[in-house]
Amino acid sequence: MTKKARPVAAITMLAMFAVTLLLITPLGAQQLSDRAKQVGGKFMCMCNCSQVLTECNHVGCTTSAAMLKELDRSLARGDSEDAITQMFVQEFGTKVYAEPPKSGFSLVAWALPSIYLFVGTGLVVFVISRWRKRPAHQAAPAGGAPGISAEMLERARAQASRETQD
Amino acid sequence: MDVFGTFALILAFVCAVYAFGGGIAAIITRHPLLIKSTRQAGMATCCLIFLATFSLEYLFFSDNFSIAYVVSHSNRDLSTFYKLAALWSGQEGSLLFWSFLLSIYVFSVLITYRNKNGELMPYVGVVMAGVQIFFLTLNNFVASPFKALASPGADGVMNYVARADGNGLTPLLQYPEMVIHPPNLYSGYTGFTIPFAFALGALLARYPGEKWIHLTRKWTMIAWMFQSAGILLGAHWAYAVLGWGGYWGWDPVENASFLPWLTGTAFLHSVMMQEKRGMMKVWNVWLVFCTFLLCILGTFLTRSGIVSSVHAFAQSSIGSWFVGFLALIIIVCLGAYLKNRDYLKSENQLDSIVSRESSFLFNNLILLVSCIAILSGTLFPVFSEWITGNRISVGAPFFNKVNIPIGLLLLFLTGVGPLLAWRKTSTESMKRNFGGPLVIGVVAGLIALVFGFREIYSWVCLILCVFVASTVGLEFYRGAKVIRARSGASFMASAVDLTMRNTRRYGGYIVHMGMVFVFIGLAGASFNRDLQKDMQQGDTMQIGPYTLLLQGFDTRPEKNYTAQRMLVEVLRDKKPLMMLYPEKRRFATTTENGTMVAIYSTLKEDLYVVYAGTSPDTQLPVLHAYLNPLVKWLWLGGAVVVMGTLVALLPNRRAVLVFSGAQQPAAQPLAHGLTPSPSVTLREGHD
Repeated sequence: MTKKARPVAAITMLAMFAVTLLLITPLGAQQLSDRAKQVGGKFMCMCNCSQVLTECNHVGCTTSAAMLKELDRSLARGDSEDAITQMFVQEFGTKVYAEPPKSGFSLVAWALPSIYLFVGTGLVVFVISRWRKRPAHQAAPAGGAPGISAEMLERARAQASRETQD
Repeated sequence: MDVFGTFALILAFVCAVYAFGGGIAAIITRHPLLIKSTRQAGMATCCLIFLATFSLEYLFFSDNFSIAYVVSHSNRDLSTFYKLAALWSGQEGSLLFWSFLLSIYVFSVLITYRNKNGELMPYVGVVMAGVQIFFLTLNNFVASPFKALASPGADGVMNYVARADGNGLTPLLQYPEMVIHPPNLYSGYTGFTIPFAFALGALLARYPGEKWIHLTRKWTMIAWMFQSAGILLGAHWAYAVLGWGGYWGWDPVENASFLPWLTGTAFLHSVMMQEKRGMMKVWNVWLVFCTFLLCILGTFLTRSGIVSSVHAFAQSSIGSWFVGFLALIIIVCLGAYLKNRDYLKSENQLDSIVSRESSFLFNNLILLVSCIAILSGTLFPVFSEWITGNRISVGAPFFNKVNIPIGLLLLFLTGVGPLLAWRKTSTESMKRNFGGPLVIGVVAGLIALVFGFREIYSWVCLILCVFVASTVGLEFYRGAKVIRARSGASFMASAVDLTMRNTRRYGGYIVHMGMVFVFIGLAGASFNRDLQKDMQQGDTMQIGPYTLLLQGFDTRPEKNYTAQRMLVEVLRDKKPLMMLYPEKRRFATTTENGTMVAIYSTLKEDLYVVYAGTSPDTQLPVLHAYLNPLVKWLWLGGAVVVMGTLVALLPNRRAVLVFSGAQQPAAQPLAHGLTPSPSVTLREGHD
């Protein structure tokens, strides 16, 4: 990019971004979710739709309406979040949780992604360090199988190339 | 026609068994006639499956209500459009449809390579036939779509019966995307059979070099493209039909379709390491194996009823067949790998951490971590029930918390990876490639803060989107500028020329740009708002800048259902903007109601209006309105991803000779009196 073109391109991109931002920034006050919505977001709808309680209003679902009503009544009584959770767990079992509780066996669900990430990163770092230590001349020949001479390999490649020409 | 279909399926099964057994014999004996014969048996299998599928479609179109599957999924008033789609609306038909799509791929492969790759193709044919045998076993002996209706007579003998009309198609499935979403998704699932067959075949045959990678690249990309389109069409279907204002709920069936997409994406990236550097051969083979395994696992999850989902088929015993097939594939893959692993030895060597190779490693790491995290989250309820006796649900909040950071990391690598050089990237090159985009991204972030962005993930996402878009834009700009300087063509024509010279590279950039659009769409979800109100005629509701005025109701009788519509006028700044008609549909054949949301969609936001039934307290109709910012970018991104993949599938335009005249210095006569040929400039392609 020429020196003249650079600021023009940068300004164009920033202008585009600013316009996009103007487009998407909510105008006026954002509607605040009520407490029922916040608490209800922690439970699943029990109609087998696999959706969070406050998001399940698909046609035919009568379960979510009943559960939300129950939730409303509990909140009106001034029940705590823990008490509401207990109430739903007693009624529907642990499958009512929208996300696994951070205690007991459920902790495994939360721990696993981090374990995958750490183990995976460790593996990649190990692989990179091993590959970096390997001098180029020690690398196995392309195609790799021991006992195959470079000439044989070249012949095989030529044959494969002939056979696979599109 | 049902007898014809049944017979075609049985014959197809016999042919597939011959293609499999004969193929193994052909590999051992190397007899040319046997090789040819098994290949033709493979083609015959496909043709017979086509015939069986057309038979079932014929039964739907001729309203043959003596067939149980037709009765369960169709009725006389069902539109032609949905009679076509009824084929894949139930367990038995969708399994036949799976075989049908697989046959299209298998037939194409057998025809394309009929006179090529003589050493490899018998192995590939055997693997493909093996997969076909499994599905034909299900089609013939476990879930036949051609079962006739029968009832016991007075003498206790079963008699064939025919019903006057069918039960109709589930209302949720009566939506245009029903016709295109499953075929796309299934084409993705089945398409991954081809790279699997080539990978396993090459390993078994110890086929030399990277040729199998070159052979399967386009097949993998086709499958990946269909999978991507299928996932996004499914999301759009959920958005427009289920009426909950969202498009992705981390439902087990949704997750099942996403898993092979993740590993397939990882493969499409890491395969370049093998092509360019001869690295990661073992990894690539296992990525292909895992992608295919995840396709089968996804099908198992959808069809076995092991996880509960609104998208799943009814619970059935078919799951055990899939478990058996999965176990068999794992054993075969492991056995082939252990036997021939020396064939996969590669010259893995890394010159620098700051290189394209490293970025691919991290890209693969992140995609795989995301895949395994989603898989373990999806299966966690099952495991928790096995271990503790209590089924613990894992819903959208969990998956969002885990996957949003992973997604952002991946978006970052989308911008960084393609601009890193192979082997080693110099500091100078880093500055040149990333300096501008980085500054633009940071400034964009600051502007966002000034505008009041406080939602951290959306803020980071927007910065990264700007960064990635800048890197991609700069790549096109630089390349097009060089071509423009040489050819004098317009900038757009130069950019097109650039793309066509290296379709794979620039098609890939277009796909990345599509992913940026998808992420912009996802970032908007943080700003969703909704409002629900019991409405009487003349009532208004205010959401964002829109005023919704309920003008009334009407009833629209259609052939297969009756629609009750809300007539909602949308006003903006007190000026009429448009009418929206959210509706509820009452079908004659079922007590289940359907819904059709009304959406006013712009690039800025979707005004999404649902007729949400009648309030049990007030007995008034309920209007549920959502304001969902940036959703359209998601669908736009999907279209760009498909377009980019299609571009990447095109062959490169060959380098052309350009004869330049006027600007060249006048030719000097050579000493021996000959005139030199016009100066020739070779337009070289990119790497």
